[in-house]
Amino acid sequence: MALSAQDKILYVANKLGLSTLGQMQGSTGAVYDVDTEVSGQIFSSASRHQNPGVTNITENQFEVNEALLVETIAFYVKNTSGAVQNFQQVYGSGAVIVFDLVIGNKRVMKDTPVFAAGSPYTFANVGNQVNPVGEASATSYTPRHQVYMEGAGILIPPQVQWYVDYRIFDVVTGATIAATDETALGCYLFGTRVLLNFNTSI
Amino acid sequence: MSQVGKLGYVDSKLGAPTSGQQTTRILFNTIENPGTTSSLSFFKNFQGLTNGQTNLTQNKLDSMESMVIKTITLFQLNSANILRNFGDLAQQTLSVIVGNQTVVKNIPIHFNQGINGQAFDRLHENAGVQSDNVTNPTELVQTRMPIEIRLLTDIVIPPQVAFEVRIESNAAGYETGAVTCALAGYGKIFSAGNTF
Repeated sequence: MALSAQDKILYVANKLGLSTLGQMQGSTGAVYDVDTEVSGQIFSSASRHQNPGVTNITENQFEVNEALLVETIAFYVKNTSGAVQNFQQVYGSGAVIVFDLVIGNKRVMKDTPVFAAGSPYTFANVGNQVNPVGEASATSYTPRHQVYMEGAGILIPPQVQWYVDYRIFDVVTGATIAATDETALGCYLFGTRVLLNFNTSI
Repeated sequence: MSQVGKLGYVDSKLGAPTSGQQTTRILFNTIENPGTTSSLSFFKNFQGLTNGQTNLTQNKLDSMESMVIKTITLFQLNSANILRNFGDLAQQTLSVIVGNQTVVKNIPIHFNQGINGQAFDRLHENAGVQSDNVTNPTELVQTRMPIEIRLLTDIVIPPQVAFEVRIESNAAGYETGAVTCALAGYGKIFSAGNTF
């Protein structure tokens, strides 16, 4: 990465006039939510979702002086009983998620594909191998479904709404695949986190 | 030089706009029903493809957009959506042509794969490994992984310059499903910023 995560956060904070962000607690964090309404958007309805069963945020914006530098975006599937599942094992190897990440009024990731068969840019191409006892080699693979944002982490600043807009397609036929309650799509945004720190202000 | 620095350097040499939203960019293109052929050209034909098969409408980036390619991914699905070995394991070479220039020339695509090549890249040590334990894989039981080639140098696609990815072989079998190529890396997308 040309800039370290911390430097990037401070650079953007400075551009946005967030002068106190540098005094807050640096951390690692991930936010997640599931499109249980099957609306094609993740995070925008987080305030209505069960916490932590469906999401770990109370609204799709951070508090004052909290932020997240998104460095990896990952997708998963959650069924109605609450189980977290692998996208490939629910939708099959021929599916693809095409998503946008929108922060405020700006689309910061555009038409980005995440292939069920195993996505480019995960830096862990193999994913999970299933090795039954007594078998010499793996019987199947469950790929990871991530986008590692090498060199270009994107900051979600405090008090700005964000969401992920997505559609699922069949790569072979090009047809849209409709998600259902049993196959609702979830998303993790993982990266360097800024947490509110009162030490310097109170 | 970092990929961010390299893109800025090339854009400035070409007089291309250096502003824009910095982001991670993945371009992809699909060829339907490729069959058995000696040559595949990705990012050449967009007719009839949906947004799930390509995320471009022409073989060039917009005037305010550019990107650095860091990895090239290839995979093949049969008509039952089962992931197959790309080109039925035949030796194939890949070239990337940007404008009038070949920027990646005849690189063997299986070199980084475990099943019939050498994994030079520890990041993808077992990529392409195939299991013999599952004799009848289904689309939900995947027995292999796609090809991903990590480039050692940054390849830039400037704005408004046509590009193409070409695979050559001696009549490799790609079956009747689809083959997809994805170019992943760092890029800039158009951002109105303070302009509008």
